[in-house]
Amino acid sequence: MKRSWASLEEFEKFLDHGGIVEPVDDMPREYRQAVFDFIEMHANSELMGGLTERDWIPKAPGLRHKMSVIAKTQDEIGHAHLLYMIAADLKIKTREEMMQDLFAGKSKFHNVFHYRAKTWGDQVAIAFLVDAAALVSQQAVFKNCSYGPYKRILRRIIAEEGFHLRFGEESVLRIAEGTEVQRSMFQESINDWWWPALQLFGPDSKPNDLLLRWYIKSERNEILRDRWIQKFVPLLQGYGFTIPDSGLRRNKEKDRWEIGPIDWEPLKQTMVMGGPDSARRISEASDSWKKTGWVREALEKVSA
Amino acid sequence: MNVEISASVQDIHAVVETVNDPEYPGISIVDLGLLENIKVNKIGEVVIQLIPTFSGCPALQIIAQDVREVTEKLSGVKKVDVVWLNSPVWNVNRVTAKAEKELSEKFTIAVQIQDRKVKCPRCQSETTIKSHFGPSRCRSVHVCSGCNEIVETLRD
Repeated sequence: MKRSWASLEEFEKFLDHGGIVEPVDDMPREYRQAVFDFIEMHANSELMGGLTERDWIPKAPGLRHKMSVIAKTQDEIGHAHLLYMIAADLKIKTREEMMQDLFAGKSKFHNVFHYRAKTWGDQVAIAFLVDAAALVSQQAVFKNCSYGPYKRILRRIIAEEGFHLRFGEESVLRIAEGTEVQRSMFQESINDWWWPALQLFGPDSKPNDLLLRWYIKSERNEILRDRWIQKFVPLLQGYGFTIPDSGLRRNKEKDRWEIGPIDWEPLKQTMVMGGPDSARRISEASDSWKKTGWVREALEKVSA
Repeated sequence: MNVEISASVQDIHAVVETVNDPEYPGISIVDLGLLENIKVNKIGEVVIQLIPTFSGCPALQIIAQDVREVTEKLSGVKKVDVVWLNSPVWNVNRVTAKAEKELSEKFTIAVQIQDRKVKCPRCQSETTIKSHFGPSRCRSVHVCSGCNEIVETLRD
């Protein structure tokens, strides 16, 4: 049931009518590359996220948080596993090549994983702000996603990320109701993570963005970013925390929050592996891959 | 005097059925086989016994909380205890045909029933196992031999 299209225009017409592309289809080269790059970055980000989460298993305060961190680690690594499988099916890079490119700093992962989580407060800020930002963008990709295998995996990822967010909300509530020390620790975490989380959505989408044209994304970056801002500004302020943005103001006529100018330099730095924690993160991931090689070998022998 | 002031087991069952698994929005925990027993006495004290798919499941507390909340809203209910049992042990035979269909259609998830071959929810071809665990402890990862779909498989 392999389908093919005479031209890119024909293919785009198919997408405009809600067509879903499957791996067996003879899709245009440019589309195949764009879908691959997008899924590879998502897979890398799940893996890097899972490894950070893992670092907090021994340090999580209490058994309940420990259980949730363990489960989240398994979720993220599991998501990476599924995403690398569908990325490899696009036959642009093998899974091994994707791993080697990641460890060589040649492929991208989300900006937030180029920073270091120093305290439990940071971990909670990530679970609350960053996971929500990731969920907002994944929901938007899922809505009209034209690549079948990705759309089906996203449905499950979204369900699980939504579940993570409940942990995030619960943890924030606990910290917000905590001691002055806990509250000021969390305020510091908000100061550190607010801008990276906001920049996760990327700069405003270009008018001719091919990811939008081909229904790999379905909403513009600035719209998603704004949706997140409108939700989190009042939430954090409601808990009595401040947003580290001196330009933030309430536009009463429009009934909306407006933020100050965004400095995109830190985001650009992360995209060339020049973030504050990029080098350490990449070498940790590479070490972990080497150390777990024996597990993969043993499992291959069992399956063979 | 014989005045029924308490909610009935049927009433409670009906509300517990509305609680969905947080990992599978839209699929009832009752259809997934998590409900073992409901006890209610004359004065409205309710004990709901649930069994987990896996003992380390991270969703236990959230499920218990959701079950408690919906049950407490029933009139004639005074106190609700939700208990996770260690036995019987959950297995896939507890999953209803309805939930199996929903898992397949909504989430492209197959169910591993004993030694039966796992079929792809999309094209019904046979699958081979790729890894024993996926994003969740109750799911393994298979690959379809027909359409190459990655098939997550609920198993015990």
